[in-house]
Amino acid sequence: MIPRALRLIALLLVVAVGLLPAQSSSDRFDHSTHRKLFPLCQSCHPGAAAPTQALWPNPTGCASCHDGKIEKSVTWQPPAPRPTLLRFTHAEHGRALRAGSAADSSLACASCHAAEGAPWMQVSRGELPRCLSCHGVRVAHLEAPDTACATCHRSLPEAPGLTRERVAAFPAPASHKIPGFGSGGHGQLARPAAADTHHPGVATSCATCHAREFCSQCHVNAPETPTIQALASDPRSLAIKATLKAPQSHADMRFQARHGGQSRARNATCATCHTQESCISCHRSNPAVVAALPRASVSRGIGAVIHREKPETHGADFAERHGPLARATAATCSGCHARSECLECHRPNPGTANGYHQAGFLSRHPSAAYNRQADCSECHNPAAFCTTCHAQSGLTSSGGLLQGNYHEVGGTFLLSHGAAARRGLESCVTCHTERDCLTCHSAQTRRFNPHGPGFDAARLRRKNPQTCAACHGRTIPGGN
Amino acid sequence: MRSASLLALTALVLTRQLTAQDFLLRLDTRLQSVAYRGVRLDSVLATTVVAGPNGGLETADGFAVSCAPGSIHCEFYRPGLQRHGGPMVTGADMTAWGFGVRGLSLHANGRLNIDLGNADVWPGTNPALQLFEGYVEYANAWLTGRAGRQTERGRLGYTGFDGGMVTLRNADHGVGGSVYAGFGLARGTALPVTSPALNPLDEFQPRQRELVAGGEVWWQTEALETRLEYQREVDRETRNFVSERAALSATLRPARGWQLNAGSEYDIARGEFGTSDAELRYSRARWSAAGGVRRYQPYFDLWTIWGVFSPVGYTAVQASGRVSPSRWLDLHAEGERYWYSPSAADVPLQQSEDAGWRWSSGAGVTPAAGWYLGLNYRAEFGPGASSVGWDASASWRPTRSLSLRAEGGHLSRPLEFRFTTSRLSWFGGQADLQAGDRLRFSAGAIQYIEDRDRPDAAAFSWNQTRLTAGISWLLGSGADHLPLPPAIRRGGAR
Repeated sequence: MIPRALRLIALLLVVAVGLLPAQSSSDRFDHSTHRKLFPLCQSCHPGAAAPTQALWPNPTGCASCHDGKIEKSVTWQPPAPRPTLLRFTHAEHGRALRAGSAADSSLACASCHAAEGAPWMQVSRGELPRCLSCHGVRVAHLEAPDTACATCHRSLPEAPGLTRERVAAFPAPASHKIPGFGSGGHGQLARPAAADTHHPGVATSCATCHAREFCSQCHVNAPETPTIQALASDPRSLAIKATLKAPQSHADMRFQARHGGQSRARNATCATCHTQESCISCHRSNPAVVAALPRASVSRGIGAVIHREKPETHGADFAERHGPLARATAATCSGCHARSECLECHRPNPGTANGYHQAGFLSRHPSAAYNRQADCSECHNPAAFCTTCHAQSGLTSSGGLLQGNYHEVGGTFLLSHGAAARRGLESCVTCHTERDCLTCHSAQTRRFNPHGPGFDAARLRRKNPQTCAACHGRTIPGGN
Repeated sequence: MRSASLLALTALVLTRQLTAQDFLLRLDTRLQSVAYRGVRLDSVLATTVVAGPNGGLETADGFAVSCAPGSIHCEFYRPGLQRHGGPMVTGADMTAWGFGVRGLSLHANGRLNIDLGNADVWPGTNPALQLFEGYVEYANAWLTGRAGRQTERGRLGYTGFDGGMVTLRNADHGVGGSVYAGFGLARGTALPVTSPALNPLDEFQPRQRELVAGGEVWWQTEALETRLEYQREVDRETRNFVSERAALSATLRPARGWQLNAGSEYDIARGEFGTSDAELRYSRARWSAAGGVRRYQPYFDLWTIWGVFSPVGYTAVQASGRVSPSRWLDLHAEGERYWYSPSAADVPLQQSEDAGWRWSSGAGVTPAAGWYLGLNYRAEFGPGASSVGWDASASWRPTRSLSLRAEGGHLSRPLEFRFTTSRLSWFGGQADLQAGDRLRFSAGAIQYIEDRDRPDAAAFSWNQTRLTAGISWLLGSGADHLPLPPAIRRGGAR
């Protein structure tokens, strides 16, 4: 009795095999097995030397032996023409063979299709080192000079049959791995050699694998760059992915602060990767340098994508300490900040519970205000903001310090209020009016002198005599 | 006020007329419910006061009284009525451009204030319509011209005025300068100094708006930025100076990570230096340290008499530091010590403080992506005021569009120049939802619990719940980067 599990596995195997796609029925021809049957290449590949004839043998020829009786039957078919980037044709080499000496072994089939010293019929699709050797290239394939590429290769647009997958699989030359190649080295290599006439304006080595679209992945100024415009257009070139990396200069911690000056000095360099949109990602105003950069468009892309980051100076406590910096560097601030942003804090919104000040500040504000942790009046008008609220809270004086006695320090505050007032006058005036003080501190009332040491009466009289007249009336001391 | 309304109306009409142009408009509505309770001065006959349990004099119902020698009345403060307010503010911030002249744009920034409470109790809601800025601007690489209501920002403060401003600059050499003139607005508000809203106590007040004029020049290099400002305000009626001041500011970046910020103000009208400061800061990716000195000097316009009372400032030394030993931990500490200048008004029998200090410290922890925990401690002590307290918060961002925050704290402070201590605790939460690129909602609630530790009947509590809500709506034509904050004219626009 076969266990049920085994039967199930067997059933699954049968189903799986049945579902497998049909395998290719074309057998591969093994040259070395047939080495004793064919003394000449042209017996099967007459087209290699005679362009009017077929390169591949007729499959019926195989059946003369492989008929199922003499030998097992086969289903060999000649391969479909394979798109290639090679400029090489058998016909061209065949003409050379016919035109040259018959004894020129360098033009024989084995010169390209068999390794040096390989036995008869041990062949391959093509022995690259022998191609290079024959054509005088003494370096590795991918290090061949610009002038040599076009000997064997066409440019990518000239090979329309190549698929994007095959383009993506192109091997990268060693030069592409040299440090600095991406940041500028490739630009040097892309300049055409004087002797290179295959692709005017751009090095043939570049044009072999790349087209204009490839460069446009990074170069937003591609439409204005002659070297890139010298390349043909071919969307398949996008199959080779280019990754835009920031140059070394951008890693400098001071770059953020200094890039403005650098961009003014080297605007063309910036325009390689950056469009106006790069700048506007951070700069909300309109720096003049922006206008010199191209604008993003369908034809050129958006260029380097900038992520807005706070400068190094903008730490977590920057809101509290930005004042001195902002006062000196207003032009720099306006590079990223709109004017209206400042007003969001500097003109407090009554409908917002917490903004610059944290929760609970209402209870703490007397101590913060009295000793001026910050300059309150820069954002709050004392009359409209402080006094209005104090008045509604009953915190106003109606008769100076002689009534109400709000300041309860053993009843002696009246004696000591002078020192407190001079230190915290900005807080005093949020509850007291000028008239409160003038009840005593006026030449026309109790004549208590309010002026401290160093009071420059003459200067004040020159600038605003009306201030003096508030207490002294028409008889301002020292006045005319 | 009429001119402000006219400017706002013009801006609104222009916005409607120019729908084919580029514009960006942010409407922002905020609402909060607030309540507070003050005090009310009262008096009783001196013959009716009694001795309280602490030995002091009280009213019969337990309020501590103050009885002046020889007076037949004693005075005291009763708790005032609890006042409720519901300020709802709708702000509009608009920029329009594309009028056929490259560089020409229109800007307006104003607010409509409505109090939904039973009285206009919350400061800043009067008058209902306030225009902060409304101007036409033309800008190119070397020139900026502006006409209308605008705010000049600098070391001398935020100066609002209705007038014009011209700026010339040479970006290649980093130099520039600007001049401006117009009818001034009062400090810290969008209202002219003649506004009744600025005279809650029937104080002396100018009868006409002052003329304000000023200018500045700056020089900017990679290592140095410096700015010199001058400003004067003149009373149009008397031709007297309201103010005349100058200021110099500089930022020096001598080497990588180093930064020196310094600046000073000079009051030309009074012939004395104003607030000045210098700070040296060193910043690296994971830590920063700073130290500096600061001189604070009070400032008053000359149309008030307050300046003749010779207010004194203080000199302070300060230091701060921040370090992030790991990606998930951030520590900071700041401190300042200050000394007031001699007031020349001390009395022998009354000791008063003439120096103070304040410091704070805290830590921030990011235990996982989207989470942030913060804890801060703060203490300050100075003449007439002090407080000590801590606060903590936890923020969570479960999705890119939603963020939640819970917070709480506690502080205690003496009631300045009075004999009692107040303790405040609070806790609450807030949620923000970014519903797409153009719409944002927020809502929150916070509970305050305050005890005033008085030994008499005035030891009332001041507990309240504050609710907040907000909607921010961005409108505009398509030619802008929506992730950016609003009202920005796009570079290179026509």
